[in-house]
Order: sequence, then structure tokens, then C-alpha cells
Amino acid sequence: MEPAIDSKCALPAAFTSLSPSALIWQDVLAQAMTGELLAAMNYTSLADICDDPAEVADALEHAQGERGHAAAFAAEGRRIGVSVTNNVDARHWKRLRQAFLRCIAERDFIACLIVQEIMLESFAVASYARVGKVAPGTLGKTFAAIAAEEEEHIEHAMEILRAERALDEQRFDDKVYQLHLEVMTTLAEMLARDCSHGHCEVCHGSCVKPALPDVRLSAAELRGASLHQYLKTLDKLGLPGEVTLTWVAQLPV
Amino acid sequence: MGRSIAGVTEVDFALIGHQESWRAAADVLAVLRGPERTPLPDDEIRDILPWLPPRAVCHVDIESLGGARARGLYIDSFIAPDRLADAYVRDNIARVREAAAYAIKAGAKIVSLGGFSSILIEGNFDQLPQRHATVFTTGNTLTVGFIVQGIRKMCAMEGRDLRRSTLLIVGATGDLGSGCARCLAGDVRRVLLTARNMERLRRLAVELEAEGVAVEVATDLRQFSSEADVVICAASLASPSLLLGRVAPEAIICDAGFPKNLAPGAEMPGAKVFFGGLGQVMGGLRFTPDFHGVLNRHPFPDVVHGCLLEGMALALERRFEPFSQGRGFITPERVEEVETIAARHGIYLAPLYNADGPLEETAESSCLPALLPA
Repeated sequence: MEPAIDSKCALPAAFTSLSPSALIWQDVLAQAMTGELLAAMNYTSLADICDDPAEVADALEHAQGERGHAAAFAAEGRRIGVSVTNNVDARHWKRLRQAFLRCIAERDFIACLIVQEIMLESFAVASYARVGKVAPGTLGKTFAAIAAEEEEHIEHAMEILRAERALDEQRFDDKVYQLHLEVMTTLAEMLARDCSHGHCEVCHGSCVKPALPDVRLSAAELRGASLHQYLKTLDKLGLPGEVTLTWVAQLPV
Repeated sequence: MGRSIAGVTEVDFALIGHQESWRAAADVLAVLRGPERTPLPDDEIRDILPWLPPRAVCHVDIESLGGARARGLYIDSFIAPDRLADAYVRDNIARVREAAAYAIKAGAKIVSLGGFSSILIEGNFDQLPQRHATVFTTGNTLTVGFIVQGIRKMCAMEGRDLRRSTLLIVGATGDLGSGCARCLAGDVRRVLLTARNMERLRRLAVELEAEGVAVEVATDLRQFSSEADVVICAASLASPSLLLGRVAPEAIICDAGFPKNLAPGAEMPGAKVFFGGLGQVMGGLRFTPDFHGVLNRHPFPDVVHGCLLEGMALALERRFEPFSQGRGFITPERVEEVETIAARHGIYLAPLYNADGPLEETAESSCLPALLPA
């Protein structure tokens, strides 16, 4: 698939020699940009199954917002002198997209929201917030600002999902669990300490994870923060904390 | 859906605790993962545990010998075993507060604060979320009761006369230390108190001296001669070797700190060390899912920290009140009151043991009626 954002722009002349940290940020940005473009594709697909014109408009607006985030990440790459590529067909991202498309095929609007807003966005918000704390200058500010915007998305979806859960708690919780098994397993594998199943197909060279401590990050921290955010989001939805704890404890490492 | 302990709408009590070692934390996560999954490697556990928000891990059902029953939750605050130091106090209090909010949301009528949670909160009760229908207790009064019972029992087992003993209390101004001092001071020949705060030490000494007790205080253990032959470590010592040369070679030493880390060492081969503050449930104790031997890792069955047992005993008694709160309010009368409640429901001093194993031959031998409060 062609990258949705053309990143083959000219690099500033000043960055003829890149610092090692710039190459780390390049991969961090590539993962984030891929996630944003996948989210944009998901929202576009969601618009296809919405009956209410207001919901269609809402989904398309979200899709546009996610493309804006991807563009912002690409711009941050240019600012530090690196080209940020994306690959929504990379192994993990592709599985996440396929999981979402199955929900679309079933025209299951609620399942779509659970996958995108509860699972994927939890990881985005938590990861971006951590990156936002340690990344220098505008790079950090961009990650922090996008984390805040994504959090607003979640709040919007929470109202819909809480209302849905109120109709039939057990049915809702069963649905979340089935989606958890597929989507969260993939996300947990993505953020495992090392990519034991092979290259992720997004990092431009070798896996970036071992180098993350050089920019005061770690895969363990990103995974921990993401799972924490996920559990807290499920708490807000009203799922029993003792049950969701078991779900998370059973994820692969 | 995955294994669930949800579906119960009402709980009488909640127990807030955390794991005191990485081994214990690994065992908890292994139960949560289930036997069909590979246990998490130790380094993964160290990565994941600090990120887990406080929440219920299992249901706890307790039954008294008289047939009374109470149902509760064990809520783990997931304080990491290597984060008990002062540097993490704020984060740890926040975790206990979050666990308390969970207990309130679950509808617990009484909440016991276990282990380090109790130490963190005993002077910070105002930091707990408030709700009229839920009360909190540190559980320290029953812990003191079991420490004192343990001292008496160990003296009896060793043929020592407590009345001729010199009692040293390490961490004497804390809730446990001061409670033990009040309960035992009148029964011994002399009392030595040590803690970090001299002003508090002096206040406690004045209180005890008014009862005709001979008291010495020091902020540094090294200021004492080696005459103490009964020792209560109400605060954790980094090593038993710190007692070396400061207590009698064959001293009876109660490790009542948290975490319990005093082992009978080669330096003091004659010392009789035991873990204090533990009780045993004789009626029935059930965890769902089954965390037996995981949440209560003791060489005897159904042994639980006194601080947690206090809330369970009060729940069985249907006395939902904040029995132990604040610091320095534990009196012999209050200890006797809660011991009586506990005994009425078949909760007695646990058999004595230490890091090397049991100090008694049978579990039954610990439950002699003569050891129960009058």
C-alpha cells in the first residue's frame, strides 16, 4: 500500500549528519504516524456503516483529525531532519486493521468503538503522553497535544458505550472480552520487550526498542502505561476491575 | 468471558494489601494467568506490576466457629515490593487511597488496611476517601494483641519469667510499638524504648512512668547495653545483626515489622526469633479464585495478619466501626475487647514460626484456651 502521506520531502541541509536520537525518534514517529493513519482508515470505514448523518459526519471528522495528527508527526520528523515513513500493512498493524474490518463487516458500530476508542486509543494516549514528557522541544509538545486530543475522543465514545452497557452488562462485557482477546493480544505483542516474532516492518532498521532508553523511554514503560490506561478506561465503562485484571494478566509477553 | 469473581452485589469487608516480595507477586500473577499459561518471567513481573492500578483480586469468605459468615474482597494496591521506602510515600498513599475508593465502590462496610498500607495511613486517615457507609480500620489493635500473646507464649515455651525481663521495643512510638508498650510495660522489670523521634519517645516514657514502670529511651539502638532479653521489633530492621551486642544473646525477639525480615542468624545462634502479629482462623477461610497459600504464605493453614483479621472479626461480629484509627490510641482495654471478639469467632493467635519454619510441632497446640484473653 502507498503511504498516505508523502514523506519524500527534502530534508533541511543542516541535518546532513543525524544524531543517534534522531534515528530513534524517526522510528517512534513512524509507529505513531502508522497508528494515526490506521485510525483514519478505521474512522472512514466506520462512516460507511453509520445510518445517522450526524454520526457519518462525526466519523469523517475524526478521520480527518487523525490524518492531521499523522501530518503533524511527519512535520516533526522533517524538523529533526528525518523522513517518517508509515506502513499500515505491517504485521501487527494489519492484524489490528483486519480485526476492525471484521466489526465493520458485521456492521457492529459498538464493537468498532470498543476497538478504536477503548483499545487503540488507550495505547495511543498513554504512549504519546509518555513520549511527550521526554521528547525535546516541539516534538514533545506535539505528542503531548495529540495525546490530549485523543483523550477527548475517548470521552465522547464513553458516553455511547456506557449507555450500551446499561442495556445488557453481561452481553457488553462478553463482547469487550472477545475483542480484547484479538486486539489487545496484538497490541501486547507490539509492545513486548522485544520483537521475538520478527521485524515489525515499521522501524526503518533494526528494532528501536533496545535503543529507547537512550531517549529516556522503554518498551516496558510504554506497555505498562498503556495497560494502565486501558484498565482505567474499562473501569470508567463500569467493567468489574477484578475481571479486567485477569484479562490483562493473561496477555502474552 | 474470562474467569470472573463478579456477580456478588454485597460485601461485608474489604482487605487492602500488597505483596511483600517479588516471589509473592509472581505467585499472585500466576494464579491470575491460570495454570494453562506459562508463568511470567521475573523481569516481566517487575515491569508490569508497578503499572497495575489497585483492584480486587479475589473474594474472601470467612466463617466463625459459631456459624456466622462474612464475605469480603481482597484488594491489592500493587505497591511494588521494592518501593516501600520513604521516597515512594506519596505514590504509595495514592495507591492505598485508590484501593480504598475501590472498596467503597464495592460497598464494603468495613475496610482493613494490611501490611504497609496500615503504616502509611495510620497518621493520614484524612487522606482516605470518605463515605458514611464504609469505615476504615488499621487493624493494629488486634495485631498488638497477637504480638503480646506471642511474647507471652514464647516466654512460656522457653521457660522465661516475663516479670524478670527487660523489654526492648524498636519502633516504640508507632501505633504497634506504643500499643505493645502499654500492654506489656506493667508485666516486665524494665522497658527500653527506641524510635527516631525523641519528643514522642519522651511522651510515651512519661505515660508509662506514671504507671510506675522503669523506662529508658534512646533514638539510637547502640545507646542501650545488652540487657534486653525480650525484644519487639515493631518497625522493620534492615538486619538482625543490628541487634547484635545490644540485646542478650538468648533474647526472645518478635519480628512484628513489615516486611518481616529478621531471620535467626549465625551471629545470634541463641536468639529465639518469631514472627509476631499473626492470627489463625479456625472456622473457615475461602478465597475465590483459590489463592490459598498465595495470599497467606505461612507454614500453617488459614494464618492471616492481625491487621486484616481485625476487620474480618468485626464483620463477623456485625460491628462495622473504625476500631483502630490514628496513632497511639491502642490501650490494653481495647486490645482485650478486640481479642475477645476475635476469639468468639474462632480467630486465635497463630502457631509461632520464623523464617526457618515452625517453632511448634502442631497447629493445634497454638490454640490452647489458656492463651486466650480472659
